Amino acid sequence: MASALIEFKNVGLSFDGELLFRDVNFAIAKGEAFAIIGPSGQGKSVVVKMMAGLLEPTSGEILIDGENLVTLRGKERERLLRRMGMLFQKNALFDSLTVAENVAFPLREVQQASEAEVEEAVRFYLDSVGILHAKDLFPDEISGGMQKRLGIARALALKPEIVFYDDPTAGLDPITSRKIIQLIVDLRAEHGSTVVAITNDMNRARQLGGRIAMVVDGEVIVTGDHARTLAHSDPRVRQFVRGLLEGPLTAGSP
Amino acid sequence: MNEDASTAAESLMRVPPSDPASVIGRQLIAWFGHVADFLALFGQTLGCALTPPYRARDIMRQFHFVANESAFIIVFCVSSAAMVTIIEASFHMKLVIQNDSMVPGFAALLILRELGSVVMALLITSRVGAGLAAEVGSMQVTEQVDALRMLGIDPVRFIVVPRFVACVLAGFVLSIIANVVCVYCAMLVSTLKLGYTAGSFVTAMRAFVDLRDLAFASIKGAAFGAVIPVFSCYHGFRCKAGAEGVGLATTNSVVATSVAIIVIDFVLSYVFSYLY
Repeated sequence: MASALIEFKNVGLSFDGELLFRDVNFAIAKGEAFAIIGPSGQGKSVVVKMMAGLLEPTSGEILIDGENLVTLRGKERERLLRRMGMLFQKNALFDSLTVAENVAFPLREVQQASEAEVEEAVRFYLDSVGILHAKDLFPDEISGGMQKRLGIARALALKPEIVFYDDPTAGLDPITSRKIIQLIVDLRAEHGSTVVAITNDMNRARQLGGRIAMVVDGEVIVTGDHARTLAHSDPRVRQFVRGLLEGPLTAGSP
Repeated sequence: MNEDASTAAESLMRVPPSDPASVIGRQLIAWFGHVADFLALFGQTLGCALTPPYRARDIMRQFHFVANESAFIIVFCVSSAAMVTIIEASFHMKLVIQNDSMVPGFAALLILRELGSVVMALLITSRVGAGLAAEVGSMQVTEQVDALRMLGIDPVRFIVVPRFVACVLAGFVLSIIANVVCVYCAMLVSTLKLGYTAGSFVTAMRAFVDLRDLAFASIKGAAFGAVIPVFSCYHGFRCKAGAEGVGLATTNSVVATSVAIIVIDFVLSYVFSYLY
């Protein structure tokens, strides 16, 4: 594998005295597309939020390009976080701002770009995700698929090297889901970014085209590419990817 | 610690305690945790408010919302409270000591030292604080606060600080307005109902109060203004998901802020009593 851009070393996380993760170890290479799958409630979003610095593990190290995100503070941490962008599960769009203002927001607040630069960048990113025509609408006036596209445009506005997608197809119909994943694949090819995406759909994980990891029972099992994942020996992985009712996983647990 | 012992300790932590001492102990620990977290947020807010960038445009917008848009309701409520105060004071003084010559002084004392600032602060709490807790709470549950963090924007500097500065300034200004209006309304009632002239009211009042009282009232207003947005944002940031979570955060914020205002009023009144 090429040099690791993101690396979990013996990461553990407890919450309210309950151990959620213990000794998690895996690495993601620069430029890789990495899909995270797993049953609901097992902590897929938690793993991604730890990578993004939004949650601190209780033990272990999270290395981003060799720097330990857990111990970094102040300007150094800010500098590292600015290399990342994220599409949230609920999009996290600023509902008092228009579509265009949502994309302009990080450019104005973080980059302090001139109005001409902001306008040009807004047009570019909204055009890239195909919603330039809706630039003057508010987030609650556009469809779920368009909201996802807007979230992607805002996540990419600061040209991050690493982009996290927390369930980018949640609540979308299969055709729109496929279009959104294709958009993520195309934008990754265009920007050369590293992509980590959560999905519950094996077809979407295959479409992403990279390695797959499954989060289950406080572990992160890196299963390899789509074909290797389907043939994986772990009964939990086999049951999940085939959607079987019989097996060690119980629907709706924990 | 070996693995088995660790697991046993974690299991024990998850078991709800049954004896009263443990229940009280856990609640005390949780309460001290809340206090420490609140003080940390207050300290961070103060630190950010005193260091650039100052976000002047946001502060002005918030000041307009807090001060300008609250002024009418505050003036209306404190006027009513002042009129009731002086009528009640006159009635009871006549009942007990058969004359109400000290009514202007006592009423002005009560208004400037307590009524004007406290009623103003409680009104801002219900009008601005509740809305702010709901706004921050819904930002928290829809991950907008996390989105700010991911964009490298400090939520405390972006959300709390402009409202904090605006509420401190608005508390100071509204306190002066509320107290002046209160005293004017008390004078109006005195001249219309109690047989005083404006001159005799002011003369009787000045035997009890001076400009220091108005200055202390303004300091109280600024102090109350400081705690309202911090309590509201604190509860908003801790908001649990769902409509019930936002409602609970709003309720908790209003209750906590109201209690804090009463406690701060007591502390400041005690401190100011040494300065007369």
